[in-house]
Amino acid sequence: MKDGKHLTLGIETSCDETAVSVVADGREILSNIISTQIDIHTQFGGVVPEIASRRHLENINGCIDRALSEAGVSIDEIDLVGVTYGPGLVGALLIGVAAAKSIAFACDIPLVGVNHMHGHIAANYLEHHDLEPPFMSLVVSGGHTNIVNVPDYNRCEKIGGTRDDAAGEAFDKVARVIGLGYPGGPKVDKAAREGDRDAIAFKRVWLEPGSYDFSFSGLKTQALNYLNTERQAGREINVNDVAASFQEAVVEVIAEKAVCAAEEFGQKRIVMAGGVASNTRLRELISQKAAARGIDVLRPSPILCTDNGAMIASAAYYAYRAGERSGYDLDAVPALEF
Amino acid sequence: MMFNILVVETTGKYDSAAVITDDGRVFCASSQTEMNHLRDIITISDEAIRKAGITKKDLTHVAASRGPGSFTGIRIGVTTARTTGQMLGIPCIGISSLESLAEGALDEAVASGALYIAPIINARRHQTYAGVWKACFTSDYEQKTLIDEMEERQYMIEELTDKLIAAASEDGGRVLFTGDGIDAYRDIIEEAFKAAGMENQLLFAGEDIRYQDAEPAARLALREAAAGRVLGYSELLPEYMRLSEAEQRLREGTLSDKIRKAGRI
Repeated sequence: MKDGKHLTLGIETSCDETAVSVVADGREILSNIISTQIDIHTQFGGVVPEIASRRHLENINGCIDRALSEAGVSIDEIDLVGVTYGPGLVGALLIGVAAAKSIAFACDIPLVGVNHMHGHIAANYLEHHDLEPPFMSLVVSGGHTNIVNVPDYNRCEKIGGTRDDAAGEAFDKVARVIGLGYPGGPKVDKAAREGDRDAIAFKRVWLEPGSYDFSFSGLKTQALNYLNTERQAGREINVNDVAASFQEAVVEVIAEKAVCAAEEFGQKRIVMAGGVASNTRLRELISQKAAARGIDVLRPSPILCTDNGAMIASAAYYAYRAGERSGYDLDAVPALEF
Repeated sequence: MMFNILVVETTGKYDSAAVITDDGRVFCASSQTEMNHLRDIITISDEAIRKAGITKKDLTHVAASRGPGSFTGIRIGVTTARTTGQMLGIPCIGISSLESLAEGALDEAVASGALYIAPIINARRHQTYAGVWKACFTSDYEQKTLIDEMEERQYMIEELTDKLIAAASEDGGRVLFTGDGIDAYRDIIEEAFKAAGMENQLLFAGEDIRYQDAEPAARLALREAAAGRVLGYSELLPEYMRLSEAEQRLREGTLSDKIRKAGRI
């Protein structure tokens, strides 16, 4: 406690970001340290799990120190430790979990393990201080594409998800093949702004009527086939047009399904979360579609869309208030379900 | 100076923890299930501390076996020791898992008259993490010294066995192998010694001392603490003894091929 506020230390190491944050009362960010490894992984064309794990270990304790000092608090003033325990890369997750358990044990602080995806949704509580459930959430990140009904702080009901590739994975793959490189999402986004989104007729995969699920692998294959055909025919490929057309095919389906889900479940708000929530065209399209049906769209600022410790702290805080506690036997669960 | 040192050993199949006090008493706790390092590490550390009759605030140092061994295991132990040291404001100590295995086999070496102690940790495909220590019986207490030509590193099992045979054929010393590399390479070692006509100079450690354990690691940690060889938490780092595969490929220049292939699906 400090100045009458409940302080949570949030730790996140599920992929390639070592992140630690101090959050007051589940809403106010006092510090948000993110040590990204993106430069290291770029030379390998993607995240290398073994390298990510090694870097997390080297970074984690310095991040904890910085998070505390930037927040101007000492470890004795921390009331709760929250940590991502899944889903994610197992070797990466376990660094955060081992560190969090050691803090909880050494300093006698309660511990709560957090589902990374719930954390992404909770990022919105940090951005929009008046936001409270219920709402519909759209969680789109490198490894996940989900539509989630959120009736209260501690319930996340997945009503749709991807059946094959996540949107972010599809972006990464196509980005690599058209030479944009890693990380694909932001690079496709940027290239698409200079391109014509109607240049190439990529298919929209809606699946069966009423389904909120997604499938992007067929679209990805279509894009790769298109590129092969063009190359074989000796035609020049307009990278910006491919990026724009491909992106449109992905985000149109996501936006439409999210808005339909909100409507069906009677939710007046769509809360976006995850790295792909920063995608310019997705934000534009979903705002248009939602506005036409009287639905508000909220999203966190880009810094809170990426993996961070603050969102984990916020989710841990609300779980803790509902009575949740993790024991010292907390383990990493790489394939943790929503 | 009073010492109460917490030691975690997570580089092998089972994780264990120990507290050693300055009179040399060791209090141990270990996991009963394989590869449950992350789940059990705090629970067994807590158990060892309670067995020692102290509280965590009484700890003066925290030590970790820093490898070689299971990469995942190494990371769990080192992260736990670093963070515990950071939170309690006490120094850390790094212990070699190989030296700890040699330490654990010392009594058996003395009893069986072995001159060389060779801990070998299985690193797959005929590879092993190893080092060779020479037992010394000259003083009141037993000691061991790492042999310069067989320092701690990665060896092909055949290479290590040849070096040991060469050394042992010269002085007639017996060789005691220990570590989980025995389970993988016993046949190869036995054949090589037989071919050299030196079967009677070959010994394998019993299963009770063959695997990584916090107890010998704790004895080493006490020696390090007494000698003042301690580290700040950020200086305690793993000893993987091997680059990641991706880094090896980058170094060899074979990485780009792999990425290009992956790009084509």
